[in-house]
Amino acid sequence: MTGPLIDIRGVTKTYLSGSVETPVLHGIDMTVERGDFVSIMGASGSGKSTLMNILGCLDQATGGTYLLDGVDTLSLGRPQLADIRNRTIGFVFQSFNLIKRMSVAENVALPLIYGGMGRGKAQARAMVELERVGLGELGQRTPSQLSGGQQQRVAIARALATDPPLLLADEPTGNLDTQTSDDIMHSFQQLNRERGITIVLVTHEADVAAYSRRLVRLKDGRVLYDGPAADGLRQFTTMPAGVAP
Amino acid sequence: MNPIQVLIESFRSMAANRLRTALTMLGIVIGIASVVLLLALGDSMQRFIGKQLQMLGTNMVYIMPGGDRTAAQRAREGKVAVLTRGDAEALNTLPSLTGAAPALQGSFKISAGNENLSSTVLGVTPAMFTIRNWKVDQGTLFGEADVRASARLALIGQKVADQFFYRADPLGRYLRIENVSFQVVGVLAGEGRQPDGTDLSEQIVVPITAASAHLVKSPFPQNVHYINAQGRPNVAMSDAIEDMKEVLRDRHRIRVDDPDDFRIQNLSEIADTANKISAGVALLLGLIGAISLLVGGIGIMNIMLVSVTERTREIGIRMAIGARPNAVLLQFLAEAVVICLAGGLVGIAIAAGGAALITKFADFEVYLTVSGMLIACGFATAVGMFFGFYPARRASRLLPVDCLRYE
Repeated sequence: MTGPLIDIRGVTKTYLSGSVETPVLHGIDMTVERGDFVSIMGASGSGKSTLMNILGCLDQATGGTYLLDGVDTLSLGRPQLADIRNRTIGFVFQSFNLIKRMSVAENVALPLIYGGMGRGKAQARAMVELERVGLGELGQRTPSQLSGGQQQRVAIARALATDPPLLLADEPTGNLDTQTSDDIMHSFQQLNRERGITIVLVTHEADVAAYSRRLVRLKDGRVLYDGPAADGLRQFTTMPAGVAP
Repeated sequence: MNPIQVLIESFRSMAANRLRTALTMLGIVIGIASVVLLLALGDSMQRFIGKQLQMLGTNMVYIMPGGDRTAAQRAREGKVAVLTRGDAEALNTLPSLTGAAPALQGSFKISAGNENLSSTVLGVTPAMFTIRNWKVDQGTLFGEADVRASARLALIGQKVADQFFYRADPLGRYLRIENVSFQVVGVLAGEGRQPDGTDLSEQIVVPITAASAHLVKSPFPQNVHYINAQGRPNVAMSDAIEDMKEVLRDRHRIRVDDPDDFRIQNLSEIADTANKISAGVALLLGLIGAISLLVGGIGIMNIMLVSVTERTREIGIRMAIGARPNAVLLQFLAEAVVICLAGGLVGIAIAAGGAALITKFADFEVYLTVSGMLIACGFATAVGMFFGFYPARRASRLLPVDCLRYE
């Protein structure tokens, strides 16, 4: 399919708590082309996580339109949204979000099973993904037996198991030390370049954002900057410039 | 997600919390065990009564002198209520009956050799053999001629034979009843309780005339203690009873407005009532079991709700990677059903053990039926479905974004 992978127009989000309305996003316009690598930055409360949740179809926008891969997501019901999360989006979270009771391989196979694949086939496919992130031997361990970096790699393998075109990462290095963060970001860059996977990640670290090609900076629910990452990072002098990849 | 996968996940999450799973199951185990056992007990009781009923003979009635009024009332009215052999003979010709037989009954001193005891002796006519379906193992039954001749002949039960003629052939030997010699002509076949409460194998049966002349020694030799009658299988019992009433009222010259001076007791009716009572008791016991199932079910619901809350984040993760709401619902529902079904199977096993114990120690055969077990499994599944549905639906309706934020 041609056209941008992500196309959001005038997206607003207002939270209701009781009768008090709290607007978080005030009309965001943003497109992400296939194969792009975008960082979303912003201070706490700028709405970057909310935007991420909407992009990931974990939450629905209050207003505006959101075309994901040409599909109008705001008109879809919950089962269809689940299918989109299954096939079109891979998630990587700050806290890894692996299911502790299951082995590493089972965690990676789970999206495939929800996608309707048989157990044996899904396990085999999961092992392939684990090999790719360099954890082929650890498939039978449980997540708690792995280091943080390893767990995040498992999460990446899980996110990519169904071969989705889009990878969404919410502070993927937030719980990792600098060395491991760099490793993970290198992997992202590799995935973007070699497999052509579109990546959108949320971070508040300039070092991390520096790995991306494009930067979207949010402030109070509005887009403050949208352009090349290097320029964007330079503009904000309070932030140290990232290490060029 | 295929069913096998759903089951594997259910077992896994049950295994993750073994103690909790076991405790949750306990309510279902107790509930199912009691329902199954009590249903089996009710079943066995009914079978037992059915067997008794068969032994009594179907369509059997007892006719006793006396009606609803007391002897004192009748005495004031100057009437004496009696039944006679003539009454029995008249009833015997009724087309709605297969037969009617008179009987005299009393407890007398019996002796033979050194053995001495007091026992019930029954005086009957051969018609009684037909109605009660009595047969002999050895020897012969006595006939009409023997009755007419007041022959001092006796039929004895197997236990009586063993007691008085241990290992010896009793045929042709003599028993002394109230110091009158009776010759044993036959040994009655079979054993078991009779409608009058005696055991067939402990019975001593003599011709009614001989009983009247030598044992009861009544000044009215025609009087009998009761009459047994059996309705024809193709005739409604109520019609047969009406016929009998008509004959007896006519013979006793009772005026239209006056009450009967006899009582007709329908044995199958009594058995029917007993049957109904036992069914009612079984139902009541089953109900108690059902209540414990209900309580167990509420326990399941409670634990499932806790489990949903505990696993909110996991639910969020599953939804994020593509679990449809229905898949989440199915998963929690399956867990509830698996817990209930496992509890049900344990319950059935316990009930089977209980049934075996009762059978062994209570001399009363109780066994579980396949249908009972299937019903129990169905019941357990239904409880799981019913009480698991609400928590499962709640889990499936959670929003992924809220779940992922949940700590």
